[in-house]
Amino acid sequence: MSTEKTKKRSMAAEIWQRLLRNKMAMLGLAILAILALLAIFADVIADYDTMVVAQNIPERLQGPSAAHWFGTDEFGRDIFARIIHGGRVSLVVGLISVSVSLLAGGSLGAFAGFYGGRVDNVIMRVMDIFLAVPSILLAITIVAALGTNLVNVMLAIGVSGIPTFARIVRAAVMGVKDQEFVESARAIGETNTAIIFREILPNCMAPIIVQSTLSVASAILSTASLSFIGLGVQPPDPEWGAMLSSGRNFLRDAMHITLFPGLAIVVTILALNLLGDGLRDALDPRLKQ
Amino acid sequence: MKKLVSALLAGVMCASLLTACGGSSSNTPDAGGAASSGAGTESSQGGSSMIHIGIKADLTSLDPHNHNDTISAYATRHIYNNLVKLTPDNTFVGNLAESWEFKDDVTVEFTLKEGIKFHNGETLTAEDVKFSLERQKESPKVGHLVSMIDSVEVVDDTHFIIHMNTPSNALISSLNHSGCAIFCKSYVEGLDAEGKTLESAPMGCGPYKFEDWTPGASFTLVKFDDYFDPETAAKNDGLVFKVIPEESARTIALETGELDMVIALNTTDANRIRDNAELALDECDSTHVEYLALNVQKAPLDNKLVRQALNYAIKKDDIVIAAIDGEGDPFHNYIGKAAIGYYDTAVNYEYNPQKAKELLAEAGYADGFTINCYLATEIRARIATIIQANLAEIGVTMNIEQMESSTFYEKTGNGEHDTCLTGWVANAEPDNTYRPLFWSENVGAGGNRSFYQNPDVDDLINDAAKNTDPAAVQKDYESILATVSDDAIWVPLFTKKELVARNKDVQGFTISAIGMHDFYGVHY
Amino acid sequence: MHKYVMKRLLMLIPVILGVSFLVFFIMSLAPGDTARMILGDDAPIEAVEALREELGLNDPVMVRYAHYMLDLLHGDLGTSYKSSRPVFSEIAARFPATFRLSFWGMMFAVVLSIPIGIISATRQYSIADSVSMVLALLGVATPNFWLGLMLIIAFSLNLRWFPSGGAEGWKSLVLPVITLGTGCMANITRTTRSSMLEVIRQDYIRTAKAKGVSHRKVINKHALKNALIPVVTVIGLQFGALLGGAVLTEAVFAWPGLGTYLVNSIKAKDTPAVLGCVIIFSICFSIVNLCVDLLYAYIDPRIKSKYK
Repeated sequence: MSTEKTKKRSMAAEIWQRLLRNKMAMLGLAILAILALLAIFADVIADYDTMVVAQNIPERLQGPSAAHWFGTDEFGRDIFARIIHGGRVSLVVGLISVSVSLLAGGSLGAFAGFYGGRVDNVIMRVMDIFLAVPSILLAITIVAALGTNLVNVMLAIGVSGIPTFARIVRAAVMGVKDQEFVESARAIGETNTAIIFREILPNCMAPIIVQSTLSVASAILSTASLSFIGLGVQPPDPEWGAMLSSGRNFLRDAMHITLFPGLAIVVTILALNLLGDGLRDALDPRLKQ
Repeated sequence: MKKLVSALLAGVMCASLLTACGGSSSNTPDAGGAASSGAGTESSQGGSSMIHIGIKADLTSLDPHNHNDTISAYATRHIYNNLVKLTPDNTFVGNLAESWEFKDDVTVEFTLKEGIKFHNGETLTAEDVKFSLERQKESPKVGHLVSMIDSVEVVDDTHFIIHMNTPSNALISSLNHSGCAIFCKSYVEGLDAEGKTLESAPMGCGPYKFEDWTPGASFTLVKFDDYFDPETAAKNDGLVFKVIPEESARTIALETGELDMVIALNTTDANRIRDNAELALDECDSTHVEYLALNVQKAPLDNKLVRQALNYAIKKDDIVIAAIDGEGDPFHNYIGKAAIGYYDTAVNYEYNPQKAKELLAEAGYADGFTINCYLATEIRARIATIIQANLAEIGVTMNIEQMESSTFYEKTGNGEHDTCLTGWVANAEPDNTYRPLFWSENVGAGGNRSFYQNPDVDDLINDAAKNTDPAAVQKDYESILATVSDDAIWVPLFTKKELVARNKDVQGFTISAIGMHDFYGVHY
Repeated sequence: MHKYVMKRLLMLIPVILGVSFLVFFIMSLAPGDTARMILGDDAPIEAVEALREELGLNDPVMVRYAHYMLDLLHGDLGTSYKSSRPVFSEIAARFPATFRLSFWGMMFAVVLSIPIGIISATRQYSIADSVSMVLALLGVATPNFWLGLMLIIAFSLNLRWFPSGGAEGWKSLVLPVITLGTGCMANITRTTRSSMLEVIRQDYIRTAKAKGVSHRKVINKHALKNALIPVVTVIGLQFGALLGGAVLTEAVFAWPGLGTYLVNSIKAKDTPAVLGCVIIFSICFSIVNLCVDLLYAYIDPRIKSKYK
């Protein structure tokens, strides 16, 4: 038991050591840390009442300037302040909803891929059913049944991502489950669950990490369409996806309204990608030397 | 910067062209139409005088008894004719009808014009009218418009009598509605016998014949050469209505020449059209009113002083700018300025936050309160954002709750809201505005979203609908407007301009305040 | 193998049953009154009541579901509440446009992103790798409406090369295909890159290299094939999603596809229309997924042996 624990700890430490040596991964981690700090200390950087929601109609739709670094929106509000505060919602929604899809979809896909046959057939056909339910319909139902709050937003986005992750993890598992290390793990009597989570999944992280990091962007973007049907952030609170889509009508006159929230999303997933790539390398058992 | 972006995109393009055109010639049968792809760009200069009109959404039905929406009416109103029509100065004149005469309160005798031909060559008779109105009464979608008609009695080929079951001022205006189109009896009965519907082959006696409809994309009408009335005959070869849902893309299609006209122009683009020497903008006051409905049955909005306070607190000028880019006017009345039934008797609460605070204190809410605001569209979210900021200044917290429109109608129909944002476009019959909005029985889903119930107002509405003395009707409506505005059951916000953009060489267009534009007179 | 395909096609029946059941009850749960949505605000209450009766909306949910399923068994997708036309013909009128756009969008994405992914993997951490990553991230974070409008402004308005919208001829395909394809490209490029990296490091590739097989040959023949499984999965998922309709792209380019029809039907609570779309989607997804599973078997013979 205790050797188990130390073994685990040393493995984690080793992965961490390897991650530390990867400069790009560290850059990603640093960007994420900065984004998180900006979100946490948003109130210190920009006061909510006087900068984030305070309107100034005569100064609407103005481009970037010294007074407003990122310009102003259709109500004359400061876009920089709104992006800082919007990060609080967008980062949390992006990360948590993808985690929901990843955990639920990933486990289902792993079991389907590992066991194959009837288990595979049942799980994947249920996924086919869920894949066909339009996500907007799912969201409307969640509002109707559970009401509107941020948790339900993450639930709506997370649930609609489950079939995608299930299919990706299943494919990855099918690709590696017949390799020698799985056989040897089975030979020393490891349980199936242990084999899936300890042997197989670490060996097929590549597509999963790509999918997860990119999904964060789509999750943040889809928050906006959920706001319109009442699920999630309501005016005047800022959130990146809604900021982006509110600029839709002003695209030809005031492109900065959409540009800056878009860039915020790009920077976020850039950081996640760098970190993800590094993490995959660190996890790769073949690169242990 | 622009050049750089274009150049960059051009690079991507070249790569994509290889894939896009390489395959389409061999695999996609539709690609045979490649020659037509550039056609749109030339429409304005080309020899044919088809008019291309950009619209926001597709039609739902080509059977006038099977729809009640403006877009479908663009098609059916040009294919079919009505007995009467509305002139730009808001009076009703004969269309298929030569004349009509009220024999008594419930009996009207009509005379039809002679020799009117349907598209299939048959001549219009009173039997066709009787058939059409009776078929309409069966329709769940537009039957209610003619509920006052008891029976239609055919006298001879060009004379018939409408018997009403109750006196009504709405008969003539209803007959102008697109639902009261006149069909060819033998043609429809023929289709019915074959088990076909009017959807695939609509046919009337209007200035245009139906050509084709590509669902989700476009519908086309072509000129009917044997049309009876030279004044309203088509001055172009035909109309092509193109569905372009995205607002900016619709305007761009006009700028590139793919379209000749855009109706219900996006307010953000109005100045772009005005500044473009190639294009022109038609504008007029509309019959539209945008308003915040206050649920008078819910505390604290059941207090008239509180409702008046909200009326003083909202800065309508800002809303007009932020919500509709200044393409409209702040408004204090309860029915659109251009509407039949508009009278200037409503109380005008000028923006005065100080006064609002005093009224709140007088009502016992000096410390403010919290209310919700239900709404369903993006523009209304913008309106609400301004109202929210205005109300915050007098200590009132308003929580905005956006929802899907079907949810909105259900929840506000049930009266779950404190306030909700909505709008109304009056049509040619004032009863169709006053009754849904203010009548006791229509609280909730019927249209009265203030849940306002006032027996005096009910009596006035009922009298105005039946009284044959126009002066008495006017007095009724004037006093309704004075009463509801004094009770402050809404905060009227603004009225939006009707905007139609067109190529500057397009002539002969008359803009309609109720959005029911006719295109037969349009030509280059 | 044939038996496996037959079995999977038979599985369509429970999938369709499951989808229709689920969506029917979701629609009945969702708030809103279909009759009121059709008639609008100004219709009197009696008219709304009459329409509700005519559409059968006053019947209990189970009765309506039973009616629907009976029709479905006869191959009838029912009649749209809103337009009173057969749902099948409404969908049939729009599906070809959706398929055309999805197919070419996917082709565009695949043809560009697989080579880019390979280059990024073989030259990990090079400039080319970084550029392709940033482009991919921009691609996935750019909403379709934004890219679409930018393309229209550049190529329709300023250069007049392509029509701004519509679905007539190949020219009208170009801009929407680029718009749709760019979003998909990001995912496929990144997946190709990371799977390639994974495979390149495996022993047998090193062995092949050590044996003196040329670099290019190793990549194309050995590495690529083994990296394909995740890539094929992602392509299948993306293609399925595109077939489900691309609402924003359709709106921007006035493309008469199913996405807009579905969203409008959901808004109008037009249950037969929504169900019709969803059933068609589930068939599309199932077939695409079946094709993907068959491709697995083709790529990896070990997987093939499991399909019985």
